[in-house]
Amino acid sequence: MEIFEWVRFLAGAAFLLAGVVIFLIEMAGVFRFRYVLNRMHAAAMGDTLGIGFCLLGLIVMNGLNVTSLKLFLVIVFLWFSSPVSSHLIARLEVTTNEDGEKQYQVKNLDQEPQESGGKEEL
Amino acid sequence: MESLESAYGILFTGVLIVLAALILLCLLRAIIGPRTADRIVAANMMGTMVIVMIAILTVKLGEGYLADICLIYAMISFLAVIVLTKVYMGVYLEKKEKDEKAAASRNREETTGDGQTQDGSAQSLQDGSSGEEVSDGNI
Amino acid sequence: MSRKVPQEEYEKTVSYRLKRWLEGTKDPFLNTVEMRPQKEFEEDEQTVRAREKDRKRNAEKVYDLERNAEIRIFRKVYRVFSVLFCVFLVMMLLTAVSWLPAVGEADRPVNNEVSKRYIENGLQETGAVNIVTGMILDYRAFDTLGESHVLFVATCTVLILLRLDGKKDPERFDANDRLHEPKNDVILQTVAKILVPPIFIFGIYIILAGHLGPGGGFSGGAVIGAGLILYLNAFGFAKTERFFTAKTYRRTSFCALACYSLCKSYSFFTGANHIESVIPLGKPGAILSSGLILILNICVGIVVAGTMYTFYVMFRKGEY
Repeated sequence: MEIFEWVRFLAGAAFLLAGVVIFLIEMAGVFRFRYVLNRMHAAAMGDTLGIGFCLLGLIVMNGLNVTSLKLFLVIVFLWFSSPVSSHLIARLEVTTNEDGEKQYQVKNLDQEPQESGGKEEL
Repeated sequence: MESLESAYGILFTGVLIVLAALILLCLLRAIIGPRTADRIVAANMMGTMVIVMIAILTVKLGEGYLADICLIYAMISFLAVIVLTKVYMGVYLEKKEKDEKAAASRNREETTGDGQTQDGSAQSLQDGSSGEEVSDGNI
Repeated sequence: MSRKVPQEEYEKTVSYRLKRWLEGTKDPFLNTVEMRPQKEFEEDEQTVRAREKDRKRNAEKVYDLERNAEIRIFRKVYRVFSVLFCVFLVMMLLTAVSWLPAVGEADRPVNNEVSKRYIENGLQETGAVNIVTGMILDYRAFDTLGESHVLFVATCTVLILLRLDGKKDPERFDANDRLHEPKNDVILQTVAKILVPPIFIFGIYIILAGHLGPGGGFSGGAVIGAGLILYLNAFGFAKTERFFTAKTYRRTSFCALACYSLCKSYSFFTGANHIESVIPLGKPGAILSSGLILILNICVGIVVAGTMYTFYVMFRKGEY
């Protein structure tokens, strides 16, 4: 059916263009913010929502087959791993920043108290 | 259908060109960014955009196996961020401890000349060494 | 130690001497060489001082870079010559490239009957839908055998150069630079627990589907190696050594390479003597098809995964 094809194309194109718009906003954010942590927050937006919309649009355009399943798995993997990347980069930034007290407030850097007293063997 | 095919083609080409321009801007950020975290973030962003480009090529060329490459890219960029942050933190903390030790030993050498300020230097040494501990529970 | 026989008699038996020889604790010069009783080696102060003075003077003369005229001249000459040499190499390579024939012309030596035969009869003779895998693991499997062995030799070289033995070199082993790294990050550990099994499964999928689509042993092994490195970074060396140690790597690599060699020897033997190899080619497109390519993919994947993990561990810790 022709109409169905066109509807599918328009829906997929809408999602894809929304994803590209999010990427553009992310780039604007990365270049305009003053502090590193803000820039990192803007970059995380593209990792999760930007790529989610883009790949969702491509899945819609492709129909339901194994390739779409693989693209969906890419989304799932990225949504698991992107917050961890942000967390690690933020930890790096907070540890290595000299004048950190002027820019932000750190409540508790480590997650668990080191009661064992020594540095565990890694 | 002709117009549908050409519409698909125009859309994909346009998006690919825009993404390519964005990747170049990411590279600019990686070069400029004054801190290390900036560069790691830029590398991660470039990886994400490349994943989108490869996914678009998957649909455009109709080949299903290119989606495996997207998954591999996601894994590798994630792994890169983990290893890089770990190594940089280790290097920075080690350098900081070495600098503090050198400063402490220099303080000690300077103040052992006059015996009156030895208590004061012992006090300052204690404060310096307690600041070196990693667990900053007092903050 | 022996319970039936006292220690002195036990030390004279053959089995004790054999055991000592096997372990390497036997002193080879005992009872075989006549030696005079030795004195301690003593040097008087004067010779020691003279030797140290000479050594210091020589070191200063060689390493005193400010006043060493030879080194200054050499530096300037070296810079000029290195630039000229690089330019010369680049020019030579560009000239060679410009003599190459254009891509796609029909009467060039590249487009000969070999590639035609691979493309036309590849699916039929090897049974692999992916012609590239069929080529590297069936037509040209000998090259791949060499490549796997090169991987193994490279790992052995890295092990020889970078391995730190805790018993022989305790200072260098203890002065590790990982004291200040962050350890036991709870977020990372939780996510790694969830993500590492799918990464392994994905790597195994790439290896097994090598003859049906792009992939094969090398890329699948790289993905499995990446999964192991992720686990190591999240949990630390102690927990990873519970299931992957040097012994594991040695045994799996050796078994994989031996299996590869045996399979390929069978193919060589049947091919060279014009006997029909009884391995069925199967239906193209099914997993159990294309003869021995599946087994060879698995062997190559195991070797590559172990190699990637070994390189990472050697560069980070030096021993595992």
